[in-house]
Amino acid sequence: MNMVQQILRLLWRDWVLEWRTRYALSGILLYVFATIVLVYSALLDIQPQVWNALFWIIILFAAVSAIVKSFVQESQQRQLYYYNLVHPLALLIAKMIYNTGLLFLLSLLSWLVLGFLTTNPVKDTGMFVLAIFLGSMGLAIAFTFISAISAKAQNSATLMAVLGFPVIIPILLILVKIGANALRLMQDTAIGGDILILVAINLVLLSVSILLYPFLWRD
Amino acid sequence: MQRLIRQHWWKALGVLILIYVFIAGMLIPLKPGITIVTPSSTRTGGELIIEVEGYNTNFDQAGDAVRMWLKMDDERSLQAKRVEVLGPTRAQAAFIIPEYLPSNQKVQDFALVVDNPVDGAAVRPNAVLVTQDSIDQELGEQTWQNDPLTDLSQRDGITFPFRNILGETIRNTYFHVSLWLAMMIIFIAAVVYSIKHLRGFNLDHDYWAAALTAVGLLLGGLGLLTGGIWAQYTWGTFWSWDIKQFTTLIALLIYLAYFVLRRAFPDEAQKARISAVYNIFAFVALIPLIYVLPRLTDSLHPGNGGNPALGGEDLDNTMRMVFYPAVIGWTLIGSWIASLMYRSSKIEEQLLENWEDSPTLD
Repeated sequence: MNMVQQILRLLWRDWVLEWRTRYALSGILLYVFATIVLVYSALLDIQPQVWNALFWIIILFAAVSAIVKSFVQESQQRQLYYYNLVHPLALLIAKMIYNTGLLFLLSLLSWLVLGFLTTNPVKDTGMFVLAIFLGSMGLAIAFTFISAISAKAQNSATLMAVLGFPVIIPILLILVKIGANALRLMQDTAIGGDILILVAINLVLLSVSILLYPFLWRD
Repeated sequence: MQRLIRQHWWKALGVLILIYVFIAGMLIPLKPGITIVTPSSTRTGGELIIEVEGYNTNFDQAGDAVRMWLKMDDERSLQAKRVEVLGPTRAQAAFIIPEYLPSNQKVQDFALVVDNPVDGAAVRPNAVLVTQDSIDQELGEQTWQNDPLTDLSQRDGITFPFRNILGETIRNTYFHVSLWLAMMIIFIAAVVYSIKHLRGFNLDHDYWAAALTAVGLLLGGLGLLTGGIWAQYTWGTFWSWDIKQFTTLIALLIYLAYFVLRRAFPDEAQKARISAVYNIFAFVALIPLIYVLPRLTDSLHPGNGGNPALGGEDLDNTMRMVFYPAVIGWTLIGSWIASLMYRSSKIEEQLLENWEDSPTLD
């Protein structure tokens, strides 16, 4: 099997595992409903500014809960078995692609539910979809790599939060700004530059992860 | 490296440089400047009497030799008709503002130039705004009586530049900015050692990486603290969630997480390898945080949004003579602390080995 075939096979396996339990899907729906109900009962009216903040909070926590188990859900022995079958990088890239796709779908879903429960304040749909896609990619890359690091330690969920949150803050700051632009809360003619920087951060994190992963998986 | 950490000359050099930085940075006086000009706006035609408040000036010693100009641009300026000295830092001056200015702007700004033989020349940009009742540029040019700035005095001795608002806090350049640069140098050294560790899995390199990261964190914390003290005097508050302050805090959190990570592994080799991987990853995540993001958002920090920073007039040659040694001094002291931490890790390792080998264990 070459690398691409391996990645495709692993992607299919991840999807089957998810679909069997629907862990991430039901988790995100719970997040969306709980957040909306809480904020709605406290504020009675959700302004676009609050909507923007809420949306990215939901995506952040969805990303944490969906990705934290990437490397933790399987036992060390099973992982060793995978590394014998496939190239280690294929495993990492498959997880990153799968998490990007999963997070992108979850974001679209929570946008739908959020829009259904409140209103849809998004004025520039194309830009918002782009923000969701690049955000999913950035969060997936960073959290997948961090989860690979923290899976090596005990108590990895806490460790992942401690390691992961500072690293993804730059991505979140840019996402909130692009989101505010898509909601027309602010008009920034130079938003293209921000999108490019987000792409650059994603690519840099991706290449560093790929460079460093060979040192990580061996034990 | 092993020989170098047992030698003392560079440690002594670091201490000497820092002593020089503290003495020179704190004691060299600021150049005389102008802090307050009242009133700061007027209309064309008639006499304008302004009261000037100086900083570090000696108007009383200069007496009648104090001269003042209102400078419109590089060629045109108006000299004060009379200057009255009220005290060492206070003086009054009277100007005749013509009916028409050689300018097509409704509001024209004038810089105030004060010169006397004791203090030398001082400039206050945008000191007076003159509103024109009616605009006639050509008439203004014809009737303009130019008083060129002549025979400006030079002050002897070493001084730091005076910047409005900054005032004495300009000295923070030697502490805040140089601590920051030294931190970057130390963090880069830590990343180099992390890469070295991954290339040979030598535990010594991991000790160096950990020690240097700890020192970088210390310097970063001090940089944040000195920045906060500076902000207290210039921005009015210690912490204002300025994007620079915010991203700096996050950057330090990334490195704090490095030490949390190190504690999570009981096995030395695994700890060294994984924390080296995280250190490189964290450094890469740090670059957009410190150098890219603050440029995207409005910030009050010098160097952002048109605020002055390191460059041109803001770091003159006198300041360079203190600033660059300060960077070297902090880096040397940081390396000294790191080398002590490295040696303590080595001793710890050796003690552990001896303890494990000792026959009394069974």
